[in-house]
Amino acid sequence: MNTEDVKRVGGVIISHGQVATELVAAAEAVVGDVSHIAAVSIGWHDDVEMAKDEIARSIANVSSGSGVLLLTDMFGGTPTNIAAMFLKEDEVEIVTGVNLSMVIKLASSSGDVTLRELAQEVEEQGKEAICQAGTLLEPQKMKKDA
Amino acid sequence: MLERTLTVINPLGLHARAAAKLVRMASLFESTIKLERPDTGVTADAKSILSVLYIAAARGSSITVTVDGPDEGEAIAAIEQLFGSGFGEIST
Repeated sequence: MNTEDVKRVGGVIISHGQVATELVAAAEAVVGDVSHIAAVSIGWHDDVEMAKDEIARSIANVSSGSGVLLLTDMFGGTPTNIAAMFLKEDEVEIVTGVNLSMVIKLASSSGDVTLRELAQEVEEQGKEAICQAGTLLEPQKMKKDA
Repeated sequence: MLERTLTVINPLGLHARAAAKLVRMASLFESTIKLERPDTGVTADAKSILSVLYIAAARGSSITVTVDGPDEGEAIAAIEQLFGSGFGEIST
């Protein structure tokens, strides 16, 4: 599969501390190519204007004309609040509460989804990935008991 | 359509890196490739990493692989080989 000439939705992961960088590194270990995803780590004492500039630069770097999806760590946190300044219909979308499944979903997306569709898929994937493992493994346990 | 039941033999089971290997290999083929755990009934598209992870197959799990398409013969052979090598994580 040639990913070079596909116009994919770009991604920027934005978090407190180094979480964003490490999430992208982990996704890269699983999926391989994450060249369309950037990470912005915002320190606790970083200047808001500087953080804003870095996000703007990252958006420009990963954009290939199909829009950019921003994944932030926590609704209500500074990274999300700064990211919200970039919201623009069909150009920049935000999904909060990023987890590794969401980054993998974004990393393995094909070129044929729109920004809006991908934002929806990533949100659903993130929610689906949160579960009590015990509940998920219930059928096996029941079989063992039987 | 070809079907085989294969066993996960590597100690870590079908974890993220092993699943990624399987997905990368499956994506090379045109055929549709489905996985199913007969004990839980969970099914997955072998070309989607997140789908494969949901199978949650530990060491010793049986997985039924169904391949359907023009290159199904090569695909099933490649997958069988990958399972047989414990996703390259054990020496045979």
